[in-house]
Amino acid sequence: MNILVFTKRVPATQEEELRLISDGKDVDFSKLPFKVNDWDNYAVEEAVKIVEKGGGAVTAVSIGSAESDEVLRRAIAMGAKDGFLVEVDQALHDPFARSALIRNFIQKEGTPFDVIFTGVQSEDDQFASVGGILAALLKLPYVSMVIGIDSVEKDHMIVRRELEGGLQERVRVATPCVVSIQSGINEPRYVSIMGIRKASKVERKSFKGTDYDAGKDAHIELVQWTYPPKKGGAQMLTGELGDVCAKLMEILKEKGVYQ
Amino acid sequence: MLTQESHKALVCIQCGKCTGSCPESGKTLFNIRMLVRKKQFQAVVDESLPWYCTSCGACTIRCPRDVKPSEVIIEMRSALIENGSVPLALQKALENTFVQKNPWGRSRNKRAAWTEKLDFEVPHISETESKRLLFVCCIQAYDPRCMVIPVNVATILHRAGLEFGILGEEEACCGNEIRRVGEFGLFEELQEENIANFKEYGVKEIITLSPHCMNVLKKEYGNLGIKVSHYTELLAPMVKEGAIASKGSYNKKVIYHDPCFLGKQNGIFDQPREILKSVEGIDFLEFSRSRENSMCCEGGGGRMFFEVEATYKRNAEARVEDAISRGAEVIATSCPFCVMTLEDPATEKGLIVKELSEIMMEVL
Amino acid sequence: MSYALIVAEVRRGIFEERNLDSIGICAQLGKETAMLLPEGQYSFNEKMVDSIVKVKAGEEVFLNPLNMAAIIGKIAETRGKPDFIVFTHSSSGTEAAAYTAGIFGFPVITDVSGYDKERGVFRKSYYSDKLFGEFKTIGESAAVLTVRSGSFKEFAAEKSAAPNEVSVEDVPVSDSRTFVEYVEEEKTDIDITKADFLLSVGRGVGNKDEIPAYEELAGIMKAVISGSRPVIDKMWLPKARQVGTSGKTVKPKVYLAMGISGAFQHIAGMKDADCIIAINKDAEAPIFQYAHFGVVADMHKVRDALKGILKG
Repeated sequence: MNILVFTKRVPATQEEELRLISDGKDVDFSKLPFKVNDWDNYAVEEAVKIVEKGGGAVTAVSIGSAESDEVLRRAIAMGAKDGFLVEVDQALHDPFARSALIRNFIQKEGTPFDVIFTGVQSEDDQFASVGGILAALLKLPYVSMVIGIDSVEKDHMIVRRELEGGLQERVRVATPCVVSIQSGINEPRYVSIMGIRKASKVERKSFKGTDYDAGKDAHIELVQWTYPPKKGGAQMLTGELGDVCAKLMEILKEKGVYQ
Repeated sequence: MLTQESHKALVCIQCGKCTGSCPESGKTLFNIRMLVRKKQFQAVVDESLPWYCTSCGACTIRCPRDVKPSEVIIEMRSALIENGSVPLALQKALENTFVQKNPWGRSRNKRAAWTEKLDFEVPHISETESKRLLFVCCIQAYDPRCMVIPVNVATILHRAGLEFGILGEEEACCGNEIRRVGEFGLFEELQEENIANFKEYGVKEIITLSPHCMNVLKKEYGNLGIKVSHYTELLAPMVKEGAIASKGSYNKKVIYHDPCFLGKQNGIFDQPREILKSVEGIDFLEFSRSRENSMCCEGGGGRMFFEVEATYKRNAEARVEDAISRGAEVIATSCPFCVMTLEDPATEKGLIVKELSEIMMEVL
Repeated sequence: MSYALIVAEVRRGIFEERNLDSIGICAQLGKETAMLLPEGQYSFNEKMVDSIVKVKAGEEVFLNPLNMAAIIGKIAETRGKPDFIVFTHSSSGTEAAAYTAGIFGFPVITDVSGYDKERGVFRKSYYSDKLFGEFKTIGESAAVLTVRSGSFKEFAAEKSAAPNEVSVEDVPVSDSRTFVEYVEEEKTDIDITKADFLLSVGRGVGNKDEIPAYEELAGIMKAVISGSRPVIDKMWLPKARQVGTSGKTVKPKVYLAMGISGAFQHIAGMKDADCIIAINKDAEAPIFQYAHFGVVADMHKVRDALKGILKG
């Protein structure tokens, strides 16, 4: 089975206070390190596991700046055969525009695949939409929130989708199709720095997004960024023990964990 | 690359001195002599075993044939790393170190946050005359418990009129534990980054806070022509000469725990003791196992970042019990990892753990 | 006619509470609402919507995004194109929203948590709520939205008249994706990473005999019990319950930390909880730096007082 898997380079923001610049038109990323999108890491691992077991090849594709080559090297170190970079100068905020670019790329290059994997969402924009739009544009069936792949057959797969509250749904989906992988589906292997260095010797292909009408099919536009409402440090609850505990119960109710 | 010739497993005569000195032997499944044997025969080793090693170095020091069993372990770990089979918590620590240059994945931009607690400015190394670098490193830069160490040491040096600077956000993890975990590629990256900065800013001298950083900078960064010392090496003579004079007294029974990377691996036994003994009021005690025989706290070799699977009585607890039997009220040590591992059982048993600089700050 | 189509989130006969947020955003948008539901009885206040569109198909057909796109197509044929198609921001809602947007070439904005009427912009989270992006749709076509739970329900209100009900028949059913069955997640020991509410105990608990009383409290509060390393090390709680770098990383809605001082390794495992409540004797305990609410008190006394309130 040939699997096309999309992987994105994202800023590591978990520990950072983000700063807006140019009157909220941009976010200052100048001092942030970058990493592979967590969900894509699971998607690459799942794709590699499938071909390791049943044969075929994994091709990793990344859309982004030239630096996105990093996540391709990483995917190759994990077991992908090829890495394609579709270079765009500006971030495509609209998931529709990203999906349209991917569709154009796949159709123009005639990239062969049996299945397309994406992560459910990316850590930065959390749109969780590229896989679904892409499937529709390619007229392929779609499954998202996939937390388990039970079997891979010649013309279909049996997968499990994660629903809410510990419930899952088993689904049969015909191939070719688009599958969005949920984090936790596997335990992504460790990729050592030496492994990544070795992967650097595998040639990656680079394409220009402009050759595939990058950004032309945008349906939404970003007006500006804003900060979330400020929250202070710990609010100390003081007073009689009984009152404090009553306040605690109110908080639990307000947060919806106690009725 | 440090892998190939760093050990001599083939000359091992299986005398068992390594196992005899190993802090993990007996109570865990880890048997260093047997692992060296397996290395000789290239036999398969259970994947969980190499991760027990605390890198205390006792086996390598005791070995009569200079086999360097602790390096055998690092090589075994390296093979597991390249294979992708790493305990999950350790995998996170490595991935964090790759992204943020510290095992906890804290923001690199906050690496100098500890300086906010000072009442004076610490210059960037490039702005100093002496080019004397205070190498802070990860646990001291980020851990709320250990952040007092750079604050204290910087204050003491400042008051003694010694000029120094820091690298701030440019500093990367020293890589001592990263190398011991077997991630050589990552170790090399950290090393290259730090060395490039040392060269760019013309660093002439490095003061480290953790013995682990001192060890790697001194012995595994190649010949940089830079003098590397642990801060206690610097302070001991200053105390002696009166450049640092204690005003107050510390009326407690204090027992000193030798960190493996300061003591047995680098021979720094006396300086911390001299500093402590110079403090008025201290009733100085020794553990039943001290100096070269000091018992490892199990915080080294990557063990700070993950738990081994077995549950057993921790060495730290045994250490605290020994301190109590000796009549100690305070355990003093000079390594952040030792502070972290000893403090849990000590607090429980009513003992206080102090990093050496904390005691100094109380009396200066 | 101008209207918003709400695709209700239903699951095994239950009408999900967060559908109220979908209704609420439509009120903010000033649109008449038509709510799409599958066959079957669902209990909710029907007066909150203007019309109900019953799809003559079961839940499994309804919840399949391939079918949903076809259903929406049919509705648009008879009723005219909606201005908005609104889903909940949930596993199935988001899946169907993106696919629907792709099929019709509509703009899509997911996880919408705010709407500025004057400027006509939608707010959505970026970087786990560290920032919000304000978006506008381009052109006149219908927009597909998924709505964050809890963001708009306050705007959901009863209409003056009961809703009219219409139905959609002859639903095309996809055979390229089909429902097989529901699977309950296997439970060996409880997975603390999945819990919404964790009661976590630390060294302050003192001794093993105190643990059952905390387990009891957790039981009454419907919380899952977890612990910090000292408690696990002593085997007072099983290893699977350990929070921290050497245990699990958790993100519950509420993390109630009792007798946990907040060692760095512990903080790393729980700092992303939506709400952290810390109870500790020591006012200087580092955990208070990370908590949203703090109580300086003896944890056992707080435990007993909470039990008193809950039982009383």
